[in-house]
Order: sequence, then structure tokens, then C-alpha cells
Amino acid sequence: MGVPELHNVMLKINGSVHKVAVESNWTLNDVLRNRLDLTGTKRACDYGGCGSCTVLMDGVDVYSCSMLAVEAEGKEILTIEGLGSRDNLHPLQKTFALSYAAQCGWCTPGMIMSAKALLDREPNPTAEEVRCALSGVLCRCTGYTSIVNAVLEAARIMRGEP
Amino acid sequence: VSGALFTVGKSVAPVYGLEKATGELRFPADMSLPNMLWMKILRSPHAHARIVEVNWAPARMIPGFASILTHHDVPKVLFGPYQEELYPLDQEVRFVGDTVAAVAAEDWNSAEAAARAVEVRYELLPPVRDAEMAAERDSPLAVAYMPAGILARPGGGRPATPIDASTNVLRGDALRPTVINERGDIEQGFSQSDVVVERVFRQSHVSAVAHEPRACVALYDRGQCTLWCSVQDPYQLQDAVARVLKMPKDAVRIVSTNLGGAFGVKVTGRFAILAALMARRTGRPVKVWFTREEESLDSHNRSALTHYVKAGASRDGSLLAFKARTFLDNGFWIGLGENIAQAICTRPMDLYHRCPNVKWEVFVVRTNHPTTGPYRGRADAESHFAVEAVLDELACAINMDPIDFRLKNRLREGDDLCSAPGKIVSTVWLEEAARGGAKAIGWERRLPVAGATPGPRKTGLGMAMVIHSCGSNPAGTSEAEVVIDPQGRISLYSGTPDQGSEQQTTLRQMVAEIFDIALDDVQGCNADTSICPYDSGPFSSRTVYATGIAAARAAEEAKRRLLEQAAILLRREPGDLVAGKGAVWARSEAWRKIDLGEVARRAGGSIHGKGIHNAKDDRLFAYGFAAAFAEVEVDVETGAVKILRLVSSHDVGRAINPMIVEGQILGGAAQGLGYAMTEGFCFDQRTGAALNQWFLDLRTPSILDMPDVEPVIVELGEPTHPFGAKGCSEISYVGIAPAIANAIYNAAGIRLTELPMTPDRVLKALEETRGSGV
Repeated sequence: MGVPELHNVMLKINGSVHKVAVESNWTLNDVLRNRLDLTGTKRACDYGGCGSCTVLMDGVDVYSCSMLAVEAEGKEILTIEGLGSRDNLHPLQKTFALSYAAQCGWCTPGMIMSAKALLDREPNPTAEEVRCALSGVLCRCTGYTSIVNAVLEAARIMRGEP
Repeated sequence: VSGALFTVGKSVAPVYGLEKATGELRFPADMSLPNMLWMKILRSPHAHARIVEVNWAPARMIPGFASILTHHDVPKVLFGPYQEELYPLDQEVRFVGDTVAAVAAEDWNSAEAAARAVEVRYELLPPVRDAEMAAERDSPLAVAYMPAGILARPGGGRPATPIDASTNVLRGDALRPTVINERGDIEQGFSQSDVVVERVFRQSHVSAVAHEPRACVALYDRGQCTLWCSVQDPYQLQDAVARVLKMPKDAVRIVSTNLGGAFGVKVTGRFAILAALMARRTGRPVKVWFTREEESLDSHNRSALTHYVKAGASRDGSLLAFKARTFLDNGFWIGLGENIAQAICTRPMDLYHRCPNVKWEVFVVRTNHPTTGPYRGRADAESHFAVEAVLDELACAINMDPIDFRLKNRLREGDDLCSAPGKIVSTVWLEEAARGGAKAIGWERRLPVAGATPGPRKTGLGMAMVIHSCGSNPAGTSEAEVVIDPQGRISLYSGTPDQGSEQQTTLRQMVAEIFDIALDDVQGCNADTSICPYDSGPFSSRTVYATGIAAARAAEEAKRRLLEQAAILLRREPGDLVAGKGAVWARSEAWRKIDLGEVARRAGGSIHGKGIHNAKDDRLFAYGFAAAFAEVEVDVETGAVKILRLVSSHDVGRAINPMIVEGQILGGAAQGLGYAMTEGFCFDQRTGAALNQWFLDLRTPSILDMPDVEPVIVELGEPTHPFGAKGCSEISYVGIAPAIANAIYNAAGIRLTELPMTPDRVLKALEETRGSGV
């Protein structure tokens, strides 16, 4: 077996540019987690079965495990770390944290990123629209009710409603 | 504790919520250490084989290869989560996915490539795949090369015995069940019965599907070994690592960080032991992280079961006889099989305590399927599907409301327990849970005649009652420590890992309540064997109950000492003093407060309180009770079942945090729905390999599969807990499948006896019913 070929790629992640040498078969998830230590993005299956690894690429929610790192070159990648931090929380992070919409926390970053993609295109979704938009992310803990409520609540906050 | 409560009973925000929602929280899989190797486990493609030769020369050619462990390289010391029965690696593999060897390399990809390059020569052995056939005298054995010296420790005060390697039946044989629960005269019970029903039930092997695949990072440095590991039983793992690596226990430290879901199955295993051995061998940190396939299969999930059930009742609604013979497909090991079997055949017969005649035999059988263990609702999810269906059928046969029939035969406060000999049950708020749930679902709409709605889409209502452990497990011990330090901080130390349900929040709420301070003012840490006192771990829904009692006792002791010290400073009697909001004062001198830190400083250092809970000697035993309700629509043309609504009603004693209690009830309903309708391993009949270990075909419920679920919380207290709480996280799973099965019967007049209840099984049941002319 030969030495694998490395490609230098420029990845725009959370607003900053990272130059990374990657093998052609590395996924975006591999690079985020193992090269850039952005471990907020999870991995639960590695083949597009659960959505725990969801990130935004040019505003669209994608599975980072099912995308090669070389495909992400030139795109704007947003991960949970770039969405907000403890001192500067995104409303989704706040409502998920306060309302027990994050139980074990493993699907949470993927769920929040998927919800962010929805709220960016539809600031005033119905519960049914939230359910459809989040159907690409599985959760084993909550039964989903608290998640739908957290997204609707964040949407209300973002619309400036009391 | 009486009077108004400040924190307990409030839906305060979970303590780890922000870390989870920002992605800050580090799980073991998120850790990396400098110079770290990745370890990949090589797994068996055969259900049963002996390893003849492991040729790892090709693996050495893979760039980045560092080291390999085969069964020749590991100490032949027995360990295990429940029994000392596993070598770190063995010469025999006993299911598809069993551990063969471990390979370490510089990164994930090269570890995978190196593991793939290892050539293993196997001598194939006959696989054992059917538990019932495996129980027969002439069956091949699931374990051909049994390690010497294994003792079966059944627990529950029963003596340990050497295992009999000549049969697949644990502590029994073809004629002798592993455990039996018998009372009265079963045949006389049937002869007195006006109606008798007989059914066979089959349940699939299901996976817990925790979303975090388990991981371990091992560091071995100068005789000290530290493991950051996704395990629920850190003290068991500490003991196992110390024994296998022949190290003093205090040289082994297990840090059980937050778990990304565990549900009972994340226990001490080969992956962690091998990571420790590999770290010692290479002198470098080692990380292992399961793939989804590994998390599905090498996980100790709920066993497949077959129940042969016969039950009889009188016309007036007395359950007179219950007889069952159960075969439990345990996988190759002993595990917790006998313990689970004991609960299977006793707990439902405690729930229906009035039934005078019982004979329930359970055969726990070794097979070459993946190993099984306690997954959410341990033993009761295994038994209630059959019991609740048969009770429903009896109620229908005597034209009695299924709720009234069950309540007539139920357990009552102070009754003795066959599941916990020598103990009596303390509170049974079952009637309240059943009536509350019935009201919420609109039970009065239920048509007493099955299949009575017109047209091809038939609707119906069904219910099930449930008993389950709420933490009062005599085998468990919890210890806790509460410390008031000279800076006035109050910290709770408990050795129970937070498996993702935010038990830490609930525990800290109880401590906060005792000191009358805000939740944020109680600090704590997750389980770390070098810091925290012992805890058996979060099993049997015991955290809020057992660890909660220990934490409350620790807090009360720390508070007593605090008041004693403050009494000296304030020249008062301790009984005159009040603690709250971070200070102590005399009742009559509220203006003269001294803060907690000052009391500790003047006392010469931190003030400690310790608490222990073990239910071994308690006469009163707490159980959790629930009633689950389902409304369904059955399409008799396609076999599709639509779940219209679920109601899950629970006797929780008291909800320490109602938001968390509701979240647990809803989450349990989702998993129970999966067990009912879609989940279950299919095994290849030829190879014994599971065919659906991936998310897409495991079919756990998605957000679109969830119906409206209404939780009902019954809070009438529990005297054995300082705040009156009972654990409720597991019980919420148990009633869902039987309630749906009974609703399907009410809708369409068909009895589904196999889990999951897929459309093809619905169609088959419809055909059989039509064929029989009903």
C-alpha cells in the first residue's frame, strides 16, 4: 500500500480560513474533529444515517460525515462553535439549553444547526415545518417534543416577540 | 423535609445544558492527548470459531502501524461487568462482531487499514442460534472452550456456583429452568378458572442505540493508569483494569465524563481493558472509539425472548392462574442473565399480587448471538408485553373493563414481594396513575367490542400497567459527600456518571434545597474514581432514589456540622440556628449573619458530610408504577398501524424537576414506540450476522414517527426517600408496546404476539383471524 496523497485545501470555517493538508478520502467530519479540534460537531454513524454531524455549508444543512473535505473548499462552513458561545449565545442554543431539549447532548449540535438552516429561510415556521426540517437528525433521548418547542421559542425570540 | 420548597419541585434549567448547546462539552470521543495512538478492534466475521492463527505481518506494512494485541499477548485474567468471565482476548470467538485482536496506529485511518490487513485463520465451530433448540440436551455448545474457574454469581443473596460447561442453559439444563417462580397450585388454579387463554409471544433482540458510540482514552504513565471512558460503572472498570493489569486499585483512575446516552448498556468491556493494555505496551496514550456497527452489536442489549403463556380468571374478575415458560437468548455469556430472569418471572407476579397460583419458568440460554444485558426497563420490558396482552384478553373474555380487571388483582401497599424476598412494598399509586391516564386519553370513548369501528381504517384504545424498579435495588450501593469549603462553596461529590439525563441537576437540586441556596451555588463533578466516593452507577433508575438518598444524607450531615460550628461562634444552640442563602444566623437575630465560608474557616477547614444508601436491610421497598395508554388506527387493507396518541402516566412519588421528569417520560415513550413498531435485529440464518446494525435499518423513531404523547405525573410521595421521589426514567419505556398491542386488538380484533409489530405481522394476524372465522 502506497503513501496516500495529500491535498492542501483552504477551508473557511466559522469565518476564518484554515489551510489543511488532507487525504482525498477524509471527510469534512474527520477534518473538523481530528485536525481542527472542532469536536462540537459529533459523529454517531459516519454514513449519513443520523444527522449528529450536521453543519451548515453556504447556509444549507449538510452531513459532514458524508462530504469529503476537498469538496468543502471555497464554501462557508458554520459549526456549532461558530454559531455562538457561552458569552454570546444564539437563541437556539439558549432555548435548547434551558428547556431540556438537550438531554445527552450528542445530537444537540446537529439538531441546532439543522434548526438554524430552517430559521434562516423561514423565520416563522409552524410546528409541522419544524418537524419536517429536523427529520434528518435523529434523537434517542427526548422524544422530540422539547426540541420542537425549543425551535419555536427561539424563532419567537429572533422575531422579537415577547 | 416539609413546608414550602425552593428548588425541589421546580423545573430549573439543567446544569450541563449550556455546555451541550454550545458543543463545549467534551466526551471521551472528543478528547485527544499529545502523541496519541488510535486503536481499532478487529472483529469476528464468524458466529462461532476458534482462532488458529493470527498473522499480523501484513499489518506491519501499513504506514503508521504501531502495535497489536492478540490473545497470546494479554494476561489470562477473568473480568467482566457482571461476572468475572471474560479474558481480555480469547482463543474462541462467539458471535459475529466478537473481539479478535486490537491494532494501534498513528491515526484512525491507518488503524483501520492495519486491522483490515491482519490475516486470521479460523477453525469454524457449529453456531448456536435458536435459544429453544440450544436448551435441548443434544445441542451444540455456544462456548466450546470455556475458560477455567468461572463462577456464576446470580446475585440477590443466592450463592455463587461453578458453571456447568456441558449445557447452554445457565444454572439449569434441558429440563431444569434457570429460575422458577412458583406459588399455590397452578393446575387447581386453571380448574377453578372460567376462562383460560394461551398464547406464544416472541420479542426481537433490540439495541439501546445510544447516539454516542462508546469511547475510551487510556494513559499509562509511570505505573499510573488513567482512563477517560464512556462507562456507567466506573468503579467496576477500575477494579477490572487493576486486576487485569495487576496494578493496585489506587493506581487506576477512571474518569467517566458525561455519557452521550447509555440506557444501561455502557458498561465495563474489553474495549477499555484493551486500551489500557495497549497504552502500557506502547507507552503512549491510546484512543478507541466504536463505529455505529460496534455500538450496535458489542453492546449488551435487550435479549430476544419467547414466552409460552397460559392464564386463567374467574367471571368475577379474579386472576386465578398464571403459567409461563420463557426462553431468553442471552448471547454466549452469563452476564446479568439470571438476575434478569429472576425479575422477569417475579415482578409481574408482584404487580398482580392477588393471583394465588403461579408457575413461571425461565431458561436463560447461551447462544452465538451478541451478548445481552440490562437495557432501559430491564426485565420488565422483557415480560410485560406478554403479561399485559394476556390480561387484556382475559378482561375481554369476561367482559370486564381492562383497567378494573387489573386494579382488582393488583399489588397493594404493605404486600410482601416475591421479587424482593423479605421486603414489603411501601407505596403503590397505581390506581391514581391508571385513572389519571384514562382521563387524559378519554378512555370512556373505548368501544368494548373489538373491531367495531366501520370501514377499513379501524381505531381503538388500549392500555397496560407496569411495575419497575425505581431505585430501591438491594444490590446497589451509593455514597455521596457534601463539602462546605472555607470560601463558602458547597460541592456535591457522587460517583454516579451522568448518562445524559441530567441526574446531576436533580441531585444538586436536593442539596440546594437542604441548604436553601440556588442550584447554581451547588458545585459538583462527574464521576471520577480518584475524587468521588463509591457508587454502583446509574442502573435500575436508581440515581434520583438511591444516590439521591445518599446525597441528601450527606447534605444533612454537613448541615448539622455547620450548625454545630456556627453555634459555637454565635454562642447559641444548634437548634436555634437557620442556614440559608449562603449564611447562618440565629432565628431571633436575623440581622447577625455569618457566611458559610467563615464558619468553615473558623472551624479550621472544610466541613464534610457523608451519606450512604444501601437498601439491603430495609424492610420497606419502593417500586415505580405506571399506566400507558395508546390510541391507534389500523388499516386492515395494508396492515399499517398509525399511532394516534399515547398517554404515559407515572407514579413518580414526587418530581424533583418536573421538566426533567416529563423529558424522561417522553423519551421513554419514543424508545418504547421503537420497540413496539420498528426496531429489532434480523440475524442471517446462515452466518448468524446481524443484518441491520445501521441507523437507517435499525429504524429508531424519527421526529416524523412521533405521535402526540401526553405525560401524566402522579405525585403522592414515597416515605423512604427524603423528598418522596421515585426514579421514573426506565419505566416510561415498558408499557408502550403492550398498550399499543392492546389498542390494535381493540381496533381490529387481532392479537399481535411478536415484536416489532410490523405491517406484515398485522396482515398475517388479520388473515389468521379471518381464517378462523372470528
